Amino acid sequence: MTFNLFAAEEQAIEEARLLGERLSAVAPEVRADFDALVEAFKRSTREQRRLVRVSDRLQAQLGSANQELERRRQEAETALADLRDAQEAMVRAEKLASLGSLVAGVAHEINTPVGIAVSCASHLSDATDRLRARAQAGELSKADFTRYLTTATDTSALILANCERAARLITSFKQVAVDRASAERRAVDLSRYIQETLVSLEPKLRQGGHAVAVDCPDDLIVDSYPGALSQILTNLVMNSLTHAYGDGQAGRLTIVVDQPDPETVRLTYGDDGRGIPAANLPQIFDPFFTTRRGEGGSGLGLHIVHNLAVGALKGAIAAESTPGEGTRFVVTFPKDTPPKNTPEDPPPARDDRA
Amino acid sequence: MEPLKIPATGRTPEVDFDFAAGILRLSGESYPDDVATFFGPVFAALRSFLEKPGDHPVRFDMELLYFNSSSAKALMNIFQMLETAARAGRSIAVTWCYEENDESMQELGEDFAEDLRHVAFTLKQVPADGAS
Ligand SMILES: Nc1ncnc2c1ncn2[C@@H]1O[C@H](COP(=O)(O)OP(=O)(O)OP(=O)(O)O)[C@@H](O)[C@H]1O
Ligand SMILES: [Mg+2]
Repeated sequence: MTFNLFAAEEQAIEEARLLGERLSAVAPEVRADFDALVEAFKRSTREQRRLVRVSDRLQAQLGSANQELERRRQEAETALADLRDAQEAMVRAEKLASLGSLVAGVAHEINTPVGIAVSCASHLSDATDRLRARAQAGELSKADFTRYLTTATDTSALILANCERAARLITSFKQVAVDRASAERRAVDLSRYIQETLVSLEPKLRQGGHAVAVDCPDDLIVDSYPGALSQILTNLVMNSLTHAYGDGQAGRLTIVVDQPDPETVRLTYGDDGRGIPAANLPQIFDPFFTTRRGEGGSGLGLHIVHNLAVGALKGAIAAESTPGEGTRFVVTFPKDTPPKNTPEDPPPARDDRA
Repeated sequence: MEPLKIPATGRTPEVDFDFAAGILRLSGESYPDDVATFFGPVFAALRSFLEKPGDHPVRFDMELLYFNSSSAKALMNIFQMLETAARAGRSIAVTWCYEENDESMQELGEDFAEDLRHVAFTLKQVPADGAS
């Protein structure tokens, strides 16, 4: 027995046929109208069959459209995930590369003073051995001793200077790798905070007769990493004092703070010194770029400034300079530093006690 | 009689009834928000055309590639109107277009032809238009 969706209709039609035959006998005058009625019912049944097929076709189309949609959605999601992975890998590779070059640079930089210190120390040690031998042999002359003293004074001064230089480099290096998690985040009144930072620089400023003009709106509260801000400012001021002015030249330094929009703070630092040659400008934020190599410059100062502005403050820094007129640094950063949610940051400590 | 021309929208087909030439065409996709609003004027124009006596042959091209159930019922009503006119002696031809590979649309055409005795019915395969 086969299943027939329209069995009931077909049965009704069959019954109508039989009824029609009986009707011919009892009421032949209504037979024609009755047949027309049955005919209409038959057509209606056929139309019903067609509509069911149309509707089934539509459902099937909808189903495959949904499948297609789902397939494309999954494709898009996979593509997005792949893209994210690639992006993360790229960021990681970049970080490793910059760390690698930083380490190589630091090793290279530290190698020089340490090398000098080692050879001076061994020179001193040799001289000392010779002196002791002569003393033990009772042959020590006054001239020997004087010569030794000269050697000892010279070499120990060199050892000290080079060890100090190595120590300074290590301090700078530690700042590059500044531990941002330990840096304190808090809300400060920016104007007052700038003043406090300048107080600690006051002795150096007074020494050269330099003046600092600060133009910062009152009551501008920033919720950020003030330690980073202070270090940025200190490094910029120290650079001006070191690089911008000749001996006896008094500088005018300016700090202007404004807000391009309510969420953003813009700090413009400027000096009116000799400026930075256009050829050097693109490199000043690179680690170890310095024009004072051998005179105490490590070239890490502005690199640290850059890292702090971009990393800690989640902002940006740009430099512009007109040789002979001065240099300007523009630091732009969010008034409220957004919470960090980069993958390598540990998630905030959970409090499960509640 | 004035031709009836309705441009296609996202949900309604293009209607191009050139009554003078006797060429009537329905093409595109049909799933109107409200069948009565869309098909009402189409029925009215077709009915008054078929009521007028005339011996110009009529051609109806069914080029819908996608239609919902109420449009299907509307189509059956149109076919019924054409069949009635054909039975009365008018020369009427219906062409049912389906895209190649669309077997279910071809079968639907055969189904829809079931009640057409006096109308000349043809199935016509058209190249699949990937865009629609
Ligand atoms: N205000 C300035 N005016 C002129 N030149 C500047 C100024 N600030 C920086 N520079 C130039 O940019 C270079 C890089 O500065 P950066 O602070 O990175 O290194 P540095 O001052 O030489 O060494 P470090 O700060 O590590 O002791 C400097 O050597 C100097 O040539
Ligand atoms: Mg510096």
